[in-house]
Amino acid sequence: MLDIRDLHVFHGPIEAVHGISLSVGAGQCVALLGPNGAGKTSTISAICGVAQSSGTIALEGADLSKASVEDRVRSGIAVSPEGRRIFSNLSVEANLRIGAGVRPDRENVARDIANWFETFPILGERRTQPGGTLSGGEQQMLAIARALMSRPKILLLDEPSLGLAPRIVAQVFQMIDRLRSEGMTILLVEQNARQALKISDYGYLLNNGRIQAEGTPADLGGSKDMMAKLTGLG
Amino acid sequence: MTLTQSQKRGFFGACMLAAILIAIGVVTTFFASNYQLRLVYSAFVNLIVVLGLQVFMGNSRLTNLSHSAFMGIGAYAAAICVTPVAMKQIALPDAPWGLNAFALDPVTSAIIALIVTGIVSLAVGVFIVRMTGTGATIASLAVLVIVHSIFLYRTDIFKGNQAFFGIPQVFSLTSIVILAVVVVFIVRGFRESPWGVMLRASADDETGAAAMGVNVRRLRLIAWVLSGLILATAGIAYAYFLGTISARPFYFNHVFLTLAMLIFGGMRTVTGAVLGTFAISFGLEIVRWLETGPKVIGINLPELLGLSGIMLGLVIVLTMALRPVGVMGDREIEEVFSKR
Repeated sequence: MLDIRDLHVFHGPIEAVHGISLSVGAGQCVALLGPNGAGKTSTISAICGVAQSSGTIALEGADLSKASVEDRVRSGIAVSPEGRRIFSNLSVEANLRIGAGVRPDRENVARDIANWFETFPILGERRTQPGGTLSGGEQQMLAIARALMSRPKILLLDEPSLGLAPRIVAQVFQMIDRLRSEGMTILLVEQNARQALKISDYGYLLNNGRIQAEGTPADLGGSKDMMAKLTGLG
Repeated sequence: MTLTQSQKRGFFGACMLAAILIAIGVVTTFFASNYQLRLVYSAFVNLIVVLGLQVFMGNSRLTNLSHSAFMGIGAYAAAICVTPVAMKQIALPDAPWGLNAFALDPVTSAIIALIVTGIVSLAVGVFIVRMTGTGATIASLAVLVIVHSIFLYRTDIFKGNQAFFGIPQVFSLTSIVILAVVVVFIVRGFRESPWGVMLRASADDETGAAAMGVNVRRLRLIAWVLSGLILATAGIAYAYFLGTISARPFYFNHVFLTLAMLIFGGMRTVTGAVLGTFAISFGLEIVRWLETGPKVIGINLPELLGLSGIMLGLVIVLTMALRPVGVMGDREIEEVFSKR
């Protein structure tokens, strides 16, 4: 589904990612793990088109590395960004509408929104409230729902557990697991390596802008040393 | 096409604002003196200016200081087209390109003025929307100064600080009230449209909105040009009522007056624009009366020339310090009356 070859990501003069390659198969959940500053968010930003990069980013074989952000969303890439980035002054419903901004089928948008309010009754109750008034966990659910409003082919999740209480983290991972079981293709960026590997089919370990290891959760989980070194988790 | 919940509420809110505007118009028509009627008319002109300002500033949250210039462009363009040839021969004897050799009817002139202002605001907007924060504000200030200089020194076309006279007075209070109501619906409609919602999202978080595929620059440009057209409408209404215009009313004093109105009422909402315009217009009349040093309950107050300027500055400073989102904040009129 998503194939990335020799991706370099730049923030002005600084190169944050030094030529990584990774792929996500259709219906898979692939984890991109690594400590702070490894280049995970830079990779996500490059896939979305909001960071400068070189290399190829192919979705179903079509290279999108030169496409505008809008065209990438239209082609089927959606993101729940790091820190959730809920539009705090806009209502919950308006936040969802933004996610569907590039969709041509306006009439189905209302139905999708209604479906989300059924899935997350709490969002439905607060549909007219500003997004900024939601709790962290609710905002994360909203961010994921907002990304899915564009009916993407692949969902990029950047640190969905960041800053959430353990009980809420478990709920978020449950939700991701459910999306995967419904057939959604997911690239999951996490520092919480153990939880992420539990729901993933494959994983990459990123450090200092390079891929240090890759493999199935069993492979990666097996090499305890590597995990400990890269993520600080034993 | 079905309306969303917030669009239905927006329509309802716009109806309430329209009712208030019509009520002000009716009361003025039946009870006001000629002098008071002119004051109310100019308040309505300023209301259209403030609504034009709100469309861009309120949704993109970039500060614009060039709005009075666009009002001026609309006013002069209409005036040059509509003024009878005999009048123009006297007023603009040296006008180039045969500008003093033709005259059009008021409707055609207004349409031409809208097109001209639209083209100028598009040309300027292409640059403005690429900037962020202070950059956009400073650039808009430069636009104001440039346009004013052209009005002032191309005296063969604009007559500079002298009055450009002889414009047919075709507008009445009724026409401006109708116009203001239409503009209220347009501005509120834009706020609740997909474009308006996406633009407000980009004001909350530009990078976040961009990552969702929101084309921030294009949306800003749409709002900017719509704003320019509304400002031109205000300029045309101004010229068509007074019959004379000059460069001065389209400069700093007017920029700050209308900015104070929008900031005081609250730039994020259409209701704030309406409230701010009438509150400041009314308050300013009281201040102007105090300025002259009137006798109040037997006490002779001193003459306080310049008090109105000080008060306007105070309104801006105090609002920014105490309630930066203005009186209305994020609430539109229908939200004030619904459960909360």
